[in-house]
Amino acid sequence: MIIRKIAENIVSPLGFTTEENFASVMAGRTALRRYYSLWDLPFSCFVSLIPDERLDAEFEAQVPCFTTAVYTKFEKCVLLSATKALKQCELDAASDRVVFILSSTKGNVSLLSDENPDIERVTPAHTAQLVARHFHNPNIPITVSNACISGLCAQIEAYRCLMSGQYNAAVVIGADVLSPFIVAGFQSLKALSDEQCRPFSANRKGLNLGEAAATVVYSVDDDAADGWRMLAGAVRNDANHISGPSRTGEGSYQTLTAVIRDSGLSTNDLACLNVHGTSTLYNDEMESIAINRAGLNPVPVNAMKGYYGHTLGAAGILETLLTMRALEDGIVPATRGFDELGVSNPVLVSSESLDTQKRAFVKLLSGFGGCNAAAVFKGYGL
Amino acid sequence: MNTMVKHTVKLTPNYLEVNGKRVAETVAGESFLTKLYRLYNMEYPKFFKMDVLCKVGFVASEVLLGTEGGERFVPRSDRAVLLFNRHSSLHADSTFQHTIANPDEFYPSPSVFVYTLPNIVTGEIAIRNKYQGESSFILLPEKSEEAMDQAVARAFMDRETTSVLTGWVEAVSETEYEVEMELRMKNDE
Amino acid sequence: MELTEELKTKMIEALNLEEMTPADIDDNAPLFGDEGLGLDSIDVLELIVLLERNYGIKIADPKQGKEIFASVRTMADYVAANRTK
Repeated sequence: MIIRKIAENIVSPLGFTTEENFASVMAGRTALRRYYSLWDLPFSCFVSLIPDERLDAEFEAQVPCFTTAVYTKFEKCVLLSATKALKQCELDAASDRVVFILSSTKGNVSLLSDENPDIERVTPAHTAQLVARHFHNPNIPITVSNACISGLCAQIEAYRCLMSGQYNAAVVIGADVLSPFIVAGFQSLKALSDEQCRPFSANRKGLNLGEAAATVVYSVDDDAADGWRMLAGAVRNDANHISGPSRTGEGSYQTLTAVIRDSGLSTNDLACLNVHGTSTLYNDEMESIAINRAGLNPVPVNAMKGYYGHTLGAAGILETLLTMRALEDGIVPATRGFDELGVSNPVLVSSESLDTQKRAFVKLLSGFGGCNAAAVFKGYGL
Repeated sequence: MNTMVKHTVKLTPNYLEVNGKRVAETVAGESFLTKLYRLYNMEYPKFFKMDVLCKVGFVASEVLLGTEGGERFVPRSDRAVLLFNRHSSLHADSTFQHTIANPDEFYPSPSVFVYTLPNIVTGEIAIRNKYQGESSFILLPEKSEEAMDQAVARAFMDRETTSVLTGWVEAVSETEYEVEMELRMKNDE
Repeated sequence: MELTEELKTKMIEALNLEEMTPADIDDNAPLFGDEGLGLDSIDVLELIVLLERNYGIKIADPKQGKEIFASVRTMADYVAANRTK
């Protein structure tokens, strides 16, 4: 029994399908822009935003709505991405053998600025229920909310749901949209760069935030099926600090060794490590330490934040899908924004894309709460 | 997966129960959480910095792990922390929203913002106990024993995990909270 | 009230140092690290907000905070020299 990707979608400022996003990334485009007083915030910021006009146009054209309810931007992103993914496969989403899994950090938190906020609608668990009901799915949807690693945790949850035989397929959606809440919060932590982020670079000044929704559908399949398989996943805690990454990279190191062991692959099989690379001083430094401790330093490293910014709950799914798509063409995408290496341990980051014959990779993420996640994916017959 | 429950704790604004037995009750006019913190000699000043979701999760976990006994605070990766609720970090979210709502008094608070994620409570418990295993927070549309049981069973699919500190940890205000926490062990027999 | 005492009171409130009184904090004791109050990186950021809010002082680079927040004394000296309100 294997776990195989059967459908997917990315809705982002760089496109509304995986293909369109991949083409944008290969063309070296970025969705990040400077805004001087976004939402009247008293500071300038560098973020990427999904354009409302296109989102609304596609939503109305593609998502059949039986009610006149007005959806929030977050809900529209989630529903649109899931709808577009499910159109690609024959899956009966209403089956009790299918489970919906949502990954989000802040969901509808912007509703809290309303005069009389609809408190029940703020939690992402509400959105997950909305989506499951929209597709007439009878099961209780699972929402994973583990800060920035949520998108990978959601896929690991899907993997286990299928491996345990509980379900035959999982629709995994990751999404976050920006609001004064999120931008002011990261600004208060002095984590934001007011220019284009520079993953792993000596002159990096912090992260950029971005909006995206991404969906991957996994299914149980027989051992002969071609395509992308999820081979292993692990989550570990640094047990060190709620907001600062571990100085020894403990949690990330432990996830890396666990997933390499469980996947049965060796360093030689890996085309790349698609890492977090938020461009904060401490995150990138921590990842360089963890990669070296795990003996993975000979493997090329790349990060996607220079194209999209940090898309929070979407990042784990968006970055996984883009890496899969790129490897299908034998390419490890360039790390946009990277110039001169500025971490203490050697890692093979490049501002140019690389050619590769390999079709397997590790996805790595870490987040607030001291959490870390890694997973291994491999393409067969590609 | 064959598992067994070893110790349970229930914490509400009115009482604390350990293994089904009531061990403390609230008295009008006091902070029940601070009282329990002192009663159980938790000696962890970071407690006072926590938001209410972390406070209730922390207090319940301290009581639960004190009941378990044995050596504590030794780094280990075989114990997962897996918690659930419906409202995520709603109380911290509302508190942070207040710090940015007025353009003339716009002072977003970093120490409030760090608590606007539900998995900070799993992180706080992991830090306190040096648990380097899996940690995760799952939101459910409603409290469902079945959904939680299934998620705990999935947590045991990580081959390093031999026990899970798990339960429902909901806190929507300083005076409205509910925690039901337990230790679930892998049954090797 | 003397500035050092005022800062101590505000600090205890802003950082939720529940079990402390201004008398417990020595003017010259280190605020960070294991020997002093044991404040962490989030506390530095919150102290930056405290100075902006109460004294109109803007600190863009948290690294600058290390010297300013070495002790209550250094903090008071900095506030006295740079306050705009």
